[in-house]
Order: sequence, then C-alpha cells, then structure tokens
Amino acid sequence: MSATFVIVGAGQAGGTAAAILREEGFAGNVILIGAEAQPPYERPPLSKQYLRGEMPFEHTLVRPANFYDEQRVQTLFGSYVTRLDAGDRIVELADGSRIPYDKVLIATGGRPRRLAVPGRDLEGVYDLRTVGDAARIRAEIAPGRRAVVVGMGFIGAEVAASLRSCGVDVVMVAPSRLPLVHILGEEIGRLLEGLHRDHGVEMIFQDAVAAIEGVGRVERVTTAAGRHLACDFVVVGVGIEPAIEFLAGSGVQVDNGIVVDEYCRTNVAGIYAAGDNANHYHPLFGRHIRVEHWQNALKQGAAAARSMLGRGAPYDEVPWFWSDQYDVNLQYGGFHTEWDELIVRGRLAERDCVAFYLKDGRIMAALGVNRGKELRRSMPLIRARARVDPATLRDEDADLRQVASSSEDHRQHSALRSG
Amino acid sequence: MASEYVTVAKVRDVPAGEMAAFNVGGTKIAVANVEGTFHAFDDTCTHQQCSLAEGDLDGTTVTCPCHGSQFDVTNGAVLAPPAMRPVRSYRVRVEGDALQVSL
Repeated sequence: MSATFVIVGAGQAGGTAAAILREEGFAGNVILIGAEAQPPYERPPLSKQYLRGEMPFEHTLVRPANFYDEQRVQTLFGSYVTRLDAGDRIVELADGSRIPYDKVLIATGGRPRRLAVPGRDLEGVYDLRTVGDAARIRAEIAPGRRAVVVGMGFIGAEVAASLRSCGVDVVMVAPSRLPLVHILGEEIGRLLEGLHRDHGVEMIFQDAVAAIEGVGRVERVTTAAGRHLACDFVVVGVGIEPAIEFLAGSGVQVDNGIVVDEYCRTNVAGIYAAGDNANHYHPLFGRHIRVEHWQNALKQGAAAARSMLGRGAPYDEVPWFWSDQYDVNLQYGGFHTEWDELIVRGRLAERDCVAFYLKDGRIMAALGVNRGKELRRSMPLIRARARVDPATLRDEDADLRQVASSSEDHRQHSALRSG
Repeated sequence: MASEYVTVAKVRDVPAGEMAAFNVGGTKIAVANVEGTFHAFDDTCTHQQCSLAEGDLDGTTVTCPCHGSQFDVTNGAVLAPPAMRPVRSYRVRVEGDALQVSL
C-alpha cells in the first residue's frame, strides 16, 4: 500500500511542498487541504498590485490551477482541519471526515490578530490576509474616500501606500513613536515616516484605536487619546498569530508557533511544520526563529517536503524579504533582534542606502532602501556575520562582493590560525 | 524573411560579466556578456517590471534587483521565483565592433 502524505494548509508553503513531493518523485498519495477556496497563491501582491487592481489573481498562483490534478495531488480546498490525532495518525475536518496519514506537514500559516475594541465587527472594517480580504478592500477603493489604517508594520505601510496611490485619503494609527522603530531603529523609522508623509499620509503615533463607531457600518474611529477620525473604511494590520488551534491535545510542542528542528520535524514522529506557523531551529543563529515572509514559506516548505521524503537537509537560508511602498523598494536580509551599531552606506535622506545592523562588530542584518543589488551582495557578509571595518561598509567605492570574499579569506585564515 | 538586426551599442560598452539595457524600437532589451558571448533578453522582469540589467549577473544567471527572481540569460527561462513567466530572448550578433540585436 502506498504512503499518504497530508499537507494541512494550502498557502505558499503547503502548495510548494506538494509540488516538491512530486518533483522529488514521491509516488504515494498527496492530499492538500486548505481553508480557502482557491488553489495556493502568493500573498505579497495582496497589499500591493492585486489591491491596486494591477494584477489578476491568476498571476499570484503558486502553480497553475490545473497543476494539482495533473500531478495527482488530491485537493480539499475550502476545508478546515479541526483536530489532529497523532496516535491514530488522522486529521479530522470540520465536516466530520477523517483522513489517515503516514506523514503530515502543517503549513496553516497565520491569521490576523484581532483588535479587541468595540465596533470591530462593523461593516467596512477589514483584516488583510486572504485574497477575499484583498478583494473586499479593493471594492472600497475610490479617489477621495477616507481610510484609517491601524498599524504601521509592513502590511499597514504597504496598504497605506497602495491606498494613497489610488487617491484614497489615509490616516494611520500606531502605538509606536515611528514606523518599525523597534525593529529597524530611529534612522529607518524616520525614513519611513518621511516617505509616507511625503505621499500625504496623516500619521498618528503613540496612540491606539479605542473604538470603531458607526451605525451598522463604520463611520469613525476613536482613539485612546480622544481623537475622532471620520472614515469610510478601516484596514487593520496588527500582525498575525499562528493558526494552529487544531493541534490542541495532539502532543505537538507549541511555543510561539510549532516548534520544529532544523529539518522542520516536530517532537512527534511523522509530523512536520513549515512557514509562518513554524518556530524553526535555525542552525546559523543557533536558536529557534519564526519568520512570516514569502521566502521562508517558499523555501522552508520545500525543505520540509524533502525531509518528509528522508532526503532533508538542515534548513539554513538567511531570512530575506522585500517591501514595496510607493517608489521605494525595501529589502531586508538576516536576522537581528538587537544591535549596537548602525552603519549607513549611501544617503538616508535620499532613500538610497543600505543600513547594516551590527552587534559586537558583526553584521547581523542589513536593510536596503532602493539598493536591492547591494543588499543581495551583502548576503554572504550577513551569512558569515562578518566583521567588516565600518569605513569599508560606508565606502561606496568598495564593491561588497570583494568585501565579502576578502572577509571570507579572513575567516579562513582565522580558522587556520585558531585550528 | 531575414530578420533585421539593429545596432544597439559598441561591443566594448558591455564588458565581460556585465549587462546593459538598450531601447530598441520601444522595447527595453538587456544584453549580457558571459565570458565574451552575448545574450539578449527583455530587460523588464515579468514579475514587477524592474530592469534586469540593473541586477546581478552570475555566470548565465541574472538576478532581478527588486525581488530576486532569476532568469537564464541564454533562453529567458525562469530559474527562481517570484517571477513565474519567462522573459523573451533575442538573437544577438557582433558585426565588427557593433553589437546587434534582432527583434
């Protein structure tokens, strides 16, 4: 009897995993279960091109719609998994059906955090996670309409940029002092604030939504500081939480998502996890990290599929993501939670630079602002957590590829000396 | 019908390991020099319309500067997403010191 691999979650990670199982020659049964009605699609356009009506949904598909039939991947779209029975190796669906598995990959991703305020369920108040959400927001867009965007993380900032590009008046409300200041620091926070200000976004910092008000439909947002913001609709972007409630009682270890090792294996044999919901042991950083970005879903999904086939390798990609806001392309590579030195290569004021985040003299991460090429060239430095003379990093004439290779030489010499 | 070649640059304008983009009859075409062999392809990434010539060339692989999509410069095939559709490739030849592309 051939083995059955079940994939719970049909987003970027789950869809990619299904494809990789077949590409790697797995001949058993593959069952792909997704809560949404659509085949797996990429989410980055939902806050950008799709939201602005510049991209058809078909262009977001992870694989062509007929791929799954052609590859004998059984799909159960629009199906919720309500329980996982690790003892009998069965996943249960909301309609009561029970699906036996030999191995299962959990790639259910996340769901938007909900604002705990009155009026949260009024018409015209939206989260943004699914293509359905994006389509509903898109239907609200028209020049001169007024939106309140709650949260100035990447989703909030991208939505604000898209809405402004479509002529919508935007007020943003965020608890922080500056956008992303805790993650990216004062300099980048100011850069992002300036960017949105230049494009006519009104930003309210150090305040929070206290209530959403209206009769049946949103009419205004009231903040904790007592501001009243009249609006036609609201978009909430205050982060996601892993969508893993169905694991309760399964024995699968959960701590800031599903805890997995470097091979994407959980503590329970035959159960794997990848993507937004996985708190993965990253060999490069020597700790568990949970990453909510496209590249991680794509590559970790693929890595998990190979692990299920017994052909796994430790997943050690350096996290990388992009964000497009107006005419600015941001790219981040690495992983940092703290830093003691920020080195700027280029010109912050002109939004043309790479910011390097250093800790104890080592490069932990970098953010490129309209410098995708240089950010990519910095990736070997980030992977090596290289020590590079700050003056060299600042020197626009220094080719980062050569800096990376000389840093590599340096490391090898050091290793030889210490060996 | 014989295809028509258009001179886009001097050969020396695109050194080995480098790329450059040229406007040919309204189409932006990138030319990559891979160890002396030239390859021509649509400069516009099929993902988000960024200029591929502004990206990095590593062997025969071009990486888009905006979102990291990769293409094979010899045939335009997608090597890495997020792009999913290939870029068109074009014939290119050297005539004396002139670099010529056929649309």
